[in-house]
Amino acid sequence: MGRRNPACEDVWRGWGLPSQSRFTLERVAAPPEAFVKKKLRFLGQVALLAGIYLLGNKIAAFVHLPVPGNVVGIILLYALLNLGVVPLEYVQDAADFLLRHLVFFFIPVAVDLMNWGGVFYRYGLALALAILVSTILTFLGTGYIAQWLQKDEKPCPN
Amino acid sequence: MPQLMIAFTILLTVGAYLLSKALYLRYRHPLLNIVLLGAAIVIATLLALNIPYQSYLPGRRIMTSLLGPATVGLAVPLYRQRSLLRRYAPAIVAGVSLGSLASMLVAGLIALVAGLPREVVPSVLPKSVTIPFAVEIARIHGGSPGLASAFVVATGTLGSVFGGTLLTWAGIKDPVARGLAMGTGAHGQGTAMAFMEGEQQGSMAGLAMTLAGITTASIAPLMVRLLLRH
Repeated sequence: MGRRNPACEDVWRGWGLPSQSRFTLERVAAPPEAFVKKKLRFLGQVALLAGIYLLGNKIAAFVHLPVPGNVVGIILLYALLNLGVVPLEYVQDAADFLLRHLVFFFIPVAVDLMNWGGVFYRYGLALALAILVSTILTFLGTGYIAQWLQKDEKPCPN
Repeated sequence: MPQLMIAFTILLTVGAYLLSKALYLRYRHPLLNIVLLGAAIVIATLLALNIPYQSYLPGRRIMTSLLGPATVGLAVPLYRQRSLLRRYAPAIVAGVSLGSLASMLVAGLIALVAGLPREVVPSVLPKSVTIPFAVEIARIHGGSPGLASAFVVATGTLGSVFGGTLLTWAGIKDPVARGLAMGTGAHGQGTAMAFMEGEQQGSMAGLAMTLAGITTASIAPLMVRLLLRH
């Protein structure tokens, strides 16, 4: 596997392979006021993320962008992090936690499927074909052009 | 008692999540998808107890209220990986754009030719991007969030089971290219598989996943106009 980069591994894992949340000894044994402070700081981070999300929605609505507010929110937060307006420490605990459990939020959305059984019954084959062909072409298209652009690049040591 | 129903639906969903996650962590098989398995448990319970979908909605609203802020949090890993982003900028930009365009165009054309209903076509367009983006893109363009999430999971499952083999078969060996293809083609599920191949593939897949969401959201208005004009 080569050298590990702990900063990215933990976060990226959250999307597909949710790791168990770890309860360390320090976390359990910490004095109560430190515990409360930590929780409050965490809630503050969630509030900041929520604020940026709402601002993204407002901007999208105000400019009549046909783009979702969460996309505007990501670009906004990325810009704020790069400009140093929002330090990473102000958002990273909440972001890491929410991303680790991102899959949870998808379940209530997928429950909507109980209204759509008929579509799969009637158009199942066409849908399967659309998904299969377009997924194959996406993999090949992205893979080929990226490999072609990478051919001058020396391979990464790790 | 509506409050009781809300509490029940939330507890049910949390339970379904924990159960399907435990199953996935135990067997680690890409076909054991947490989203589909969890939703199936919830739907089966609602049907068995004769609870209509409308009664699930208040709880759904509460549970999904944190989805937006969580999605904005995707900027954090993007920022942590900004040096990779700069270093591989040409491959990332070209790969993600071409892949997102191909995904939408091909899926949309097939759906259109097959005569799918008008609200299904915008739901199939964002099939390659992660659910929080797909749901919003579908909603803005008159599609169904639930359907969009199902197409996303179908794509992700397909891509995570066969994607690696397909890339190897096509002679795509460069780890950066493989990671980008997995993240662009199969979002979070592809990213999980890319991490099993290696750190570099995984990081590139994670970047590609977020960027493909942004790209797809930006191209979708044009694509809808192109495919669904009167």
